[in-house]
Amino acid sequence: MRITDIASRTDIEALKREIAVPQSGEFRPEWFRAEGYRRLSEKGENGLTMPVKRAEAIYTLFTLPEPFIYENDLIAGSIRPLFKVLTDEQKAEAAELTSHYPERWFGTHSDHFAPDYKTVLELGIPGLQNKIARYKEIHRSDAKAADILESMSIALRGLSDRLKAYAEKAASMLSKLADRSGIEAQRLRFIRENCYTLTVSAPKTFAQGLQLVWMIHSCFMYEGRYAMALGRIDQYLYPLFKKDIDAGELTEEAATALVANTFAKICEARLRGGDDVVNICIGGVDPDGKNAVNPLSFCVLKAVGTVNLPGPNLSARIAPDTPDKFLDECLKVIGTGLGYPALMNDSVNIPALLRYGYDEKDVRNYCMVGCIENFLPGQQPPWVDGRFDPIVYLEKLLLDRDSLRSSSEELGLKNGQDATDDPDAITSMDEFMKLYEIMLVRGVKEYVDNANRIMHVPDPEDKTSPFLSCFAELCIERGQDINNGGSKYPSVHGAALMGVGTVSDSLAAIEKLVFTDRTYKLSEIIRAMRDNFEGHDALREAVLSAPKYGNNDDTVDKYAVWYTKRLSDEFFKYRTYDGGGFYTAMAANISNIYAGSTLGATPDGRLAGKPLSDAASPTYGCDRRGVTSTFLSVSKPDYTNCACGTVVNQKFDPSAFRDGKREKLLRLIRVYFNRGGQEVQINSTSRRTLIDAMEHPDEYPSLVVRVSGFSAIYVTLAKEVQLDILSRTQHDDL
Amino acid sequence: MTDSGEEKLLNVSEIQHFSTGDGPGIRTTVFVKGCNLHCPWCHNPETVSPLPQKLVFSGSGKTVIYGRKMSAEAVAAEVLEDREFYGADGGLTVSGGEPMLQADAVSGLMRILERDGIRTVIDTAACVPWEKFAPLLGRVQTFLVDYKTSSDETYAGQIGGDRETVIDNIRRLIGAGETVRVRVPLIPGVNTSDTDASLMCGQLAKAGVKTVDLLPFHRLGSAKYTAMGKEYAYAGISPPDAETVSRLRSIFAGYFDCFVE
Repeated sequence: MRITDIASRTDIEALKREIAVPQSGEFRPEWFRAEGYRRLSEKGENGLTMPVKRAEAIYTLFTLPEPFIYENDLIAGSIRPLFKVLTDEQKAEAAELTSHYPERWFGTHSDHFAPDYKTVLELGIPGLQNKIARYKEIHRSDAKAADILESMSIALRGLSDRLKAYAEKAASMLSKLADRSGIEAQRLRFIRENCYTLTVSAPKTFAQGLQLVWMIHSCFMYEGRYAMALGRIDQYLYPLFKKDIDAGELTEEAATALVANTFAKICEARLRGGDDVVNICIGGVDPDGKNAVNPLSFCVLKAVGTVNLPGPNLSARIAPDTPDKFLDECLKVIGTGLGYPALMNDSVNIPALLRYGYDEKDVRNYCMVGCIENFLPGQQPPWVDGRFDPIVYLEKLLLDRDSLRSSSEELGLKNGQDATDDPDAITSMDEFMKLYEIMLVRGVKEYVDNANRIMHVPDPEDKTSPFLSCFAELCIERGQDINNGGSKYPSVHGAALMGVGTVSDSLAAIEKLVFTDRTYKLSEIIRAMRDNFEGHDALREAVLSAPKYGNNDDTVDKYAVWYTKRLSDEFFKYRTYDGGGFYTAMAANISNIYAGSTLGATPDGRLAGKPLSDAASPTYGCDRRGVTSTFLSVSKPDYTNCACGTVVNQKFDPSAFRDGKREKLLRLIRVYFNRGGQEVQINSTSRRTLIDAMEHPDEYPSLVVRVSGFSAIYVTLAKEVQLDILSRTQHDDL
Repeated sequence: MTDSGEEKLLNVSEIQHFSTGDGPGIRTTVFVKGCNLHCPWCHNPETVSPLPQKLVFSGSGKTVIYGRKMSAEAVAAEVLEDREFYGADGGLTVSGGEPMLQADAVSGLMRILERDGIRTVIDTAACVPWEKFAPLLGRVQTFLVDYKTSSDETYAGQIGGDRETVIDNIRRLIGAGETVRVRVPLIPGVNTSDTDASLMCGQLAKAGVKTVDLLPFHRLGSAKYTAMGKEYAYAGISPPDAETVSRLRSIFAGYFDCFVE
């Protein structure tokens, strides 16, 4: 039976139902890894180096769990085998064993990584092994390099044997089937064939390419990694796709079904609690700068729409010459309520990354990891980021006299003989901004020192990642681990700048009330902040009616422009411990809610404990003049300063996505991107639906909404997050 | 300010950006205040009186004042902010309220925007003397003209207008070479009978109309009535069901290019 027939007779909904069936036990990859270390010590591990020991444990981790194949699988690879029912004693034993081999974590480059799938698809596992062998020979006089290469080879053998085990599992399931010619049997033969082929050669078909990618991704899950990206899947799989299509072996429908069948398994993450955030990137330009949208891009888009669940975090790169048809298809999928894909502007992201000195061809091949973080696939160590909150420093300046005195001292601002700690001694907005900048400059330095301290592990030679290093450019050639000089480019750190709306609105209020209208003294605003505006009704009324970011009003938008440039410039001065860049982002997931909960009232009228403005968006409810004004404001800052990326959340009524209306949204986005907007992600669920879902969660078990850089099932979100989504300014046309 | 200067001021209720329901492309809609009709189903009740009104919305606790006199220059400046978004087909829509009651001021606004190549759509119930249209002729992208029923009595009673005037204005606009698109609100119990629909079709076809939009009644304006401290006569009326809409659509489609908003 041909793949087109098998695919058309396989029901994605049936697979989704299978995937949703709960799994007994707990997700315990460390138990299998511990088992690897145990066996190693049984055999006697004398003379083995740390990288090799790690690789041996990975080999056991990959090969010990029995493969699991869903009845409706076309592409196999499941995390179910990693679930175990363990006694407390067993858990303690595993913890003890693995404690001698501590792993890296997010803060020390462990996940949020987009592998170089292109190379492994070209070479296949055997080809990659040959390459490793060749470089082992080249580096034979360098024991450390030879050792790293040996560890990579062992880990890769684990992958190959995993595929072999899957082929055998399919064969054994096949032998137990009564009907050897039915669709179940055909699917198992297909899986057996594909998995087996991959152990002996490079992938020959689109399905085999997809199977290889998915098995590698599954193995990353086995390693316990999270937010591993699939990257530019419409690019690296395109040669195989085109070959099969041209040969009449594949149709776009069948390719879509295969991709959907694969992506549905991303949602297996829910079995271990919580969705994964697997970024998938389509569209954009190719390394030569030409439009890269191809028929596979549309298949991937359709497949994500079909899966219709959080987990596959789809990003669509939009360049000026990206066809309207592609953007329109993106809007159709967004209009289903899924919130995917997020729309990314190539015209901003590419220049932003070029500032860090990467090769232009590499930059044009960027994708995203996690939510929106720009990443050069396979060319840099796994992503790390943190949060920088400028409001903390604004509060310090206003509320802490020592901070004011020390920054006055630096500025030379005196009251009589001494540096002043009297806020009313500040005579102009210009002076105020200089003091605030002094605070921010200190804050950035503190942040960078701290980040470098955390990121840099003291023993990179021991804390190796042999499997991950197989999928990073130059690790093999150099015989070095990805986190110890192996990757083409050094590590980067993303500093997520918080609360641009809150900061801009606060500064605009101070400027207007204190320095322009002179209706209030700065000390009066400070007092009102301390009192959480209680008993300061007139003052709060005045700050609330001061200009707000998001209304195309330069008197306040200038502060967002300043914020973006000033902070990014400051971070740009610093380097990570191995010479990489500190990127900035204006996207902070949902930490604006947490950060706000720890902060007092701010000069914009925000009350203590309330969320800060979200990501790069204006404060919710403050952009009152409609989406065009919001976009005019939000596109004023120069986001080519923000190499990590930004998030602008927008909400439209579902009716805006109807035929005949969608073209207006399309034009809106084109103009926004043309003006330098970096990103936009859209929720299309109506306000009424969201309110109803809060009141009757049982009736909306699968309502997907865009949260920040990711989507989630609405009813599973914390109430504050639900309210935050609800309060996003909705643009509709009643 | 002189009397003639006063005339040029627009009595604006609200300016809505990214308006997608009032003509082609992306538009900015200026809702003017003051209407000479009093349709009880109106979804913009705050635009009926020419006087400023304060609405207090109970849900959000927000207070909004509708109604401010604006110079044509000030309105034009706000409209021009969005010029990049308009493209070839978008632009300004003047709705209301009844824009034709402020035709001179609207004409002044259009004159400023014409310098920047921005075109205007007029959304009118056309229940005004024909002479009112004179300053706008030859300059309007599209006239969106409401036509509410075939019945003279309903027009004279519930609506407070003269049906003959409306159909006469439609005929004259078309005769003058203007682009006219007729908008029929589908109001349950008022104009949703097959008979009314067929009669309207006959009248509109005779006037030379080619395109009709059907706008099914909705209750999204009800919060505004509450906020005005008024009772909404249509609060208890459900929107027409899909079957009714499609039945009426098929009647209109027999005469015109017909779209349902």
